[in-house]
Amino acid sequence: MNIIKTLSQNKVAMVGFAVLVMLILVAVLGPYVYEGTPWKMVQRPFIPPFENSSYLLGTDILGRDVLAGLIYGTRISLLVSFVSTVIALLIGIPLGAYAGYFGGWVDEVLMRFTEIFQTVPSFALAIVLVAIFEPSVYSITGAIALVSWPPVARLVRGEFLRLRNQEYVLAAKLNGQSNRNIILKEILPNSLSPIIVLASLMVATAILLESSLAFLGLGDPEIMSWGYMIGSSRTVIRQAWWLSFIPGVAIAVTVLALNLLGEGLNDALNPKLSGKRES
Amino acid sequence: MSIKILLYIAGRAVKGLLVLLVIAVFNFFLIRAAPGDPAQVMAGEAGATDEVFLQQLREQFGLDQPLYYQLWVYINNMLHFDMGITYRQQMPVFDLIMDRMPATLLLTGAAFVLSLLLGVLAGVVAAAKHRKWPDSAITVAALVFYATPLFWLAMMASLLFSVYLDWLPSFGMQTVGEDFAGWDKVRDIGIHLVLPAATLGLFFTAVYARMTRTSMIETSRLDFVKTAKAKGMKPSRVLYRHVLRNALLPVVTLAGLQAGQLIGGAVLTETVFAWPGIGRLMFDALFQRDYNLLLGVFFISSAMVVLFNLITDVIYCVVDPRIEL
Amino acid sequence: MKKIVMGVVIACLPFASSVYSKPSDGGTINVVVQPEPPSLMIGMYSNGTTQQVGGNIFEGLLRYDKDLNPHSLLATSWENSNDGKTWTFHLKPDVLWHDGQAFTSADVVFSVDKLLRQTNARLRTSLAFVDSITATDDYTVVFQLKEPYGPFIRLFEVGTMPMMPKHIYAGTDYKTNPANHHPIGTGPFKFDEWQKGSFIHLTKNENYHVKGLPHIDDIYWHVIPDAASRAVAYETGKIDVLPGGSVENFDVARLSELDNTCVTTDGWEFFAPQAWLWLNNRQGPTADKRFRQAVMYAMDREFAKSVLWNGYGEIAKGPIGSKTKFFDDSLPDYEYNPEKAKALLKEMGYDGTPVRLMPMPYGETWQRWAEVIKQNLKEVGIKTTIVSTDVAGWNQKISDWDYDISFTYLYQYGDPALGVARSYISSNIAKGSPWNNAEGYNDPQIDKWFDEAAVAFPDSKRAELYKKIQHKLVEDVPVAWLMELEFPTIYNCKIENLIDSGIGINDAFGTAWIKQ
Repeated sequence: MNIIKTLSQNKVAMVGFAVLVMLILVAVLGPYVYEGTPWKMVQRPFIPPFENSSYLLGTDILGRDVLAGLIYGTRISLLVSFVSTVIALLIGIPLGAYAGYFGGWVDEVLMRFTEIFQTVPSFALAIVLVAIFEPSVYSITGAIALVSWPPVARLVRGEFLRLRNQEYVLAAKLNGQSNRNIILKEILPNSLSPIIVLASLMVATAILLESSLAFLGLGDPEIMSWGYMIGSSRTVIRQAWWLSFIPGVAIAVTVLALNLLGEGLNDALNPKLSGKRES
Repeated sequence: MSIKILLYIAGRAVKGLLVLLVIAVFNFFLIRAAPGDPAQVMAGEAGATDEVFLQQLREQFGLDQPLYYQLWVYINNMLHFDMGITYRQQMPVFDLIMDRMPATLLLTGAAFVLSLLLGVLAGVVAAAKHRKWPDSAITVAALVFYATPLFWLAMMASLLFSVYLDWLPSFGMQTVGEDFAGWDKVRDIGIHLVLPAATLGLFFTAVYARMTRTSMIETSRLDFVKTAKAKGMKPSRVLYRHVLRNALLPVVTLAGLQAGQLIGGAVLTETVFAWPGIGRLMFDALFQRDYNLLLGVFFISSAMVVLFNLITDVIYCVVDPRIEL
Repeated sequence: MKKIVMGVVIACLPFASSVYSKPSDGGTINVVVQPEPPSLMIGMYSNGTTQQVGGNIFEGLLRYDKDLNPHSLLATSWENSNDGKTWTFHLKPDVLWHDGQAFTSADVVFSVDKLLRQTNARLRTSLAFVDSITATDDYTVVFQLKEPYGPFIRLFEVGTMPMMPKHIYAGTDYKTNPANHHPIGTGPFKFDEWQKGSFIHLTKNENYHVKGLPHIDDIYWHVIPDAASRAVAYETGKIDVLPGGSVENFDVARLSELDNTCVTTDGWEFFAPQAWLWLNNRQGPTADKRFRQAVMYAMDREFAKSVLWNGYGEIAKGPIGSKTKFFDDSLPDYEYNPEKAKALLKEMGYDGTPVRLMPMPYGETWQRWAEVIKQNLKEVGIKTTIVSTDVAGWNQKISDWDYDISFTYLYQYGDPALGVARSYISSNIAKGSPWNNAEGYNDPQIDKWFDEAAVAFPDSKRAELYKKIQHKLVEDVPVAWLMELEFPTIYNCKIENLIDSGIGINDAFGTAWIKQ
């Protein structure tokens, strides 16, 4: 309760939160308002924004509604980034927890494994993964998750290393609680705050990653996304700069909102740790 | 330097090499999972082909051998510091990478130095003017640049500075067809470098600025700083002598981690600005299915990451002897 | 033996010499080359850009004007016997390779019979009609054919049959010969330097066998991997020539309005690229003729032409390009008619099974085109999923017949026997290539007609057969023809006489000159 109160007093974080809620609403409800498909060629190409009242943001190179693209793009950006973050957490948390809790050779093996993923340049790896498994929502989400879990593992490991010798953990051990129980019920809840903060920033990074991949032509060809909109209008940037400008602003606003919220969460959850993260 | 540090470095180097070997094997199998092969790419571009032609190419590239044998050949060559031959250019992979490496090092190096200097400066100013308008301005700017997609920023920058204002060239590393020498050449490359380095650097500037600011504010609340202040030391002296030095540690760590990653991250910048570096080389190699070249680029850039991490740790330890290795 | 003289000695190379002012010598031309060629060895790589650069270093025996008439180059004259089976070529004396060695009939025999037979898949098919190639003296070569092969005289262009130096390649492993990195030809330009990933530099061949040519001193081919950057490079004057297809179509309109900018669609006559959709005739809904016809009616090809191709090109009527010899203009038309498409689908009882649609991995336009066709098909009730892929994946999927509908475009090479038959005859159904009869169309009647047409003599007999072929194919729709593509070449108007042959930019610079 305290946390929510602190957070709600943080105006900047609340702005971020509000924007995010709005985006989620757009993502969920938008397609019901804008029926049909953002791929449909509805009008002549290259109508500038605010010129035609039916197509407020104008039309793209094929005469498709830019606003519709933006709305459907919200959906995919949020979906891919949330799901990939969840997957990254599902990989990173157990790995980090085991490494930190058991230490010794378990730690050594798991950390070497993590190191491999941290050593390969992550964006390059994401590109290769998507290209090899052919661009689709699944391969993109998977690739983003696969390159973004190592920081989670390292963070969780750090937290477990710190907490495993706390009195309440030792007490639980003496009580004969199973390792699994101790990890899940004793230590994990106490290390959740920095994980939540990191997760909010990971969602933001995932949005950037997804759009970068789509920009390079590695998007799902069936799905309208912001990165696709920028990449596909790049060749006409001289004639119609707004076609690349508008989706870019959408990405920036979304990522900004997530960062503001993340900062706010950080301040609210770890007053002492504020700003410092394991990297 | 003590024996302990040397031993530590040696240990790390061995571990690093093992990691690199695992990466090489992992990548070897990964890239083979891609549909098609280099022979098909070449045939696909040629506009005319038949099975005979494909078979000739595969034999020439050694792709008709069983996979385990190819892996064995590859690893064996690697152990002899031979990265193989590129299928497309028919050049030694190492030579081609070294051909492109200076461009990438120049770009990422410039971006790295720029972002570190600018970022730390902005962070220090923001921390010094904590809760005053420069702090807010810097924080907001940092947040915005942090949230802006790199490739988009690059496009907008090139639109503004090269197309509309016509101040800077928008692509390439040198003026084509001009044979500059000496300072003219340096100047020419410098002009071409501005936009790519600035866009690549801005994101990291934002990262370092935020990091420095938070770190400075936190450090200034620590006891020893309070003591120094209490002793009547001049505030500016406290700031630079005590706070900055300690606050920079996490920034150095992050910078070290990112120095290696910058190389992979340059793909987007190199694409937008047609910068002839290894990021672009990797991207093309991937679509050409130039296995050796792709593996080579991955190996080299991973090796850079290992190297930079090691350097960071050593610097860390030199700067702050309390840190245990 | 009585011979029909087919060619005459033409003193000077330029055949489009409607030039008012006198050509001046000197100057440098900057050209874009996209993608960077794998090699300049035109005899082994038939990639488009290999030919673009290599076509200035190497030469064929003949050149072809924009109407595809043969003209002398390394051969000064040629004759065909009455039975159409013996071709005699007289070579130009005093031609030197770039390394100073003399070019003789031995080089011709070696290039065609040894090197190209091994390395050039396309020529290999045609060489099957050739019984023997002999040098009767240093400057005479005789090709003995098994049958009077109609398209034979179209084979001598530099991309199809480039002359290679025997003294360098004989007895070596062609693919690994070190000369591949420093090509030696007879052409107007010599290879100077190739900075991989950056530029290729050719210099004037001072000893070129046509006196007074070339006019240009240096050509730089610049590698600029990014389409938008290529456009900017032209705009800022760093690049003088953008060969067809090197900038995105959306940029063509804008660039062509710039000052001092000339645009031409000439120089593709020999290739006459034709785009179509492979429709997998073996399985799924595309195996039904009515479905394939419905696809033809469903597509708004005018929209694609005006929006995606800036109005360049023509709507394709059938298998043979409208500017190619033997095109029949009485073919029925598949106009844009969604209602007819729906009716056909209803008649066949199409159950809505989704089909995969694979774009061509060669740039934005093709991606957009797939998106347009997807919408077109959707309007008539055909559900498609766009399969994304890259060059290797695209190649593999078509070669393995693992697709439903896929984009492609192929060259016609001036004669239906060379560029058209290959996509429809059943003997060309084979996995492993995306350039043969990949749709799996199999009709014995068509096979027979194509076989006869290749060797029918004279041309009137061939025309008759090709007419029957076209009508049958247009009815069967083995593939869905899209457009006869035109790739406008954009260049600085200071360059005169840039495109003066039917292969355009591929041998462009021998006669070009810069206005002072």
